[in-house]
Amino acid sequence: DGVAILPAPQNLSVHSVNMKHLLTWSPVTVPGETVYYSVEYQGEYESLYTSHIWIPSGCCALTAGPECDVTDDITATVPYSLRVRAALGPQTSAWSTLKHPFNRNSTILTPPRMEVTRDGFHLVIELEDLGPHFEFLVAYWRREPGAKEHVKVVRSGGIPEHLETMEPGATYCVKVQTLVKAIGRHSDFSQAECVEVQGEALPL
Amino acid sequence: MKNVLQWNPPEGLQGVEVTYTVQYFIYGQKKWLNKSKCRNIHRTYCDLSAETADYEHQYYARVKAISETNCSKWAETGRFYPFLETQIGPPEVALTTDEKSISIDLTAPEKWKINPEDSSVSMQQIYSNLKYNVSVYNTKSNRMWSQCVTNHTLVLSWLEPNTLYCVHVQSFVPGPPRLAQPSEKQCVSTLEDQTSVFKVK
Amino acid sequence: LRRCQVSVDTRHIEESFQEIKRAIQAKDIFQNVTILSTSEALQSIKPSDVCCMTKNVLAFYVDRVFKDHQEPNPRVLRKISSIANSFLYMQKALQRCQEQKRCHCRQEATNATKIIHDNYDQLEVRSAAVKSLGELDVFLAWIDKNNQETSTA
Repeated sequence: DGVAILPAPQNLSVHSVNMKHLLTWSPVTVPGETVYYSVEYQGEYESLYTSHIWIPSGCCALTAGPECDVTDDITATVPYSLRVRAALGPQTSAWSTLKHPFNRNSTILTPPRMEVTRDGFHLVIELEDLGPHFEFLVAYWRREPGAKEHVKVVRSGGIPEHLETMEPGATYCVKVQTLVKAIGRHSDFSQAECVEVQGEALPL
Repeated sequence: MKNVLQWNPPEGLQGVEVTYTVQYFIYGQKKWLNKSKCRNIHRTYCDLSAETADYEHQYYARVKAISETNCSKWAETGRFYPFLETQIGPPEVALTTDEKSISIDLTAPEKWKINPEDSSVSMQQIYSNLKYNVSVYNTKSNRMWSQCVTNHTLVLSWLEPNTLYCVHVQSFVPGPPRLAQPSEKQCVSTLEDQTSVFKVK
Repeated sequence: LRRCQVSVDTRHIEESFQEIKRAIQAKDIFQNVTILSTSEALQSIKPSDVCCMTKNVLAFYVDRVFKDHQEPNPRVLRKISSIANSFLYMQKALQRCQEQKRCHCRQEATNATKIIHDNYDQLEVRSAAVKSLGELDVFLAWIDKNNQETSTA
């Protein structure tokens, strides 16, 4: 091990939105040199049962940027400890550990982008693909007094999904929220978007 | 659950007659078992569906090559778990149309049978959470949309008359990733509009 | 009374296992021995014993298997860590159920659990651990199957 004269990174923090977790820290600067960083993590299992084991991050075993996407490391809904050290050639700093373990159930959840369209009388929605953890709760209703709200769970984004067969001369509105079963939480609902179907329906 | 062992012929033996012999092993049992119909065969595949019919067990298979007086070492598969690894075939899809609707009737794929006369076992009986992803393509509007269903009949109503719609359906079982073939694409046209009542703007 | 259901997205755990299945199972040289797959162990469990059996097998993995296995390959280690931490989360979820007395343990589940531990003890500890890791797909498939059939009274 190089002599630890290199200062340890400071101000570690995790910013997590929609189950994407970014670990950031203040860079260690050495004039004229590129400082690299190593990131390691411990899940609650390791800290309880094999506390001597720290696992190298899948993405940032050695990285130049003062940040690391730890999304693929944090893969369970338990507290994770994270630590970073600086490296310059053979020299390495001491480890700097995140003050409070991070649990992905604290991630910020936002509604997805959505595109509400129709194919003739068929109401179709396409949702932003936010990744494998995400399902979507879609609420839709016919805009009229006392309208009943229908709810449908859409398993994944990125594919146009049929919602409803609409009746001519009506307007239908849709709103959506993200559902993440892995952490048992959901986002707020999005703004509603409405679609109108002209077409005069003559009595049959 | 039709489970076929396949392999590539050994390299560098062009022009030499090579035959193969296959054995299989039920994980947790005691010894390798011969597959009599795959002893000294020339083809490079062997149907082990009957031997691996109990899909909740796990299996290994191995094959060796024999030429004149030489024998290769056994080449062995990894552990094969039919319940998790079998591909789920597409359902049977029947379409019927009228002016403004298409009725889609689905029949779950069937488990492979040792004898054709044996009674059929639906894959739905094995995978109670079997679902279908129905994809519908409107050739006039060039729009595609899909719908996930669990029951076996889906009626697409309020379609545009005199329009060709194409449908294909894929079975899937929530759980570990597995391959699944979609059904053949079928296209049907809704009938002429008898009443020319509805004009969609 | 609603029985405990393991409300965990096992799909991610299954994907993690699929990525290391070949590597782990290749290290298991005792094809004639199983830990979980014997019919008396998991296959014989009735719906009413599913919760307790799930809890017991989770504890078997968390308290014994993951600790007894030493993994040199960082890629495989990451996947095992992911599974171990997911099992810890499932344990906590079932713990809450148990405190509400909805995860009752009968003798059948206790006997079946003993069979698993006895099977494990038949082998040298490293071989037993790698064999048990290689049979994670059996346990996950059993959880999936029973999660659909576990009735919600």
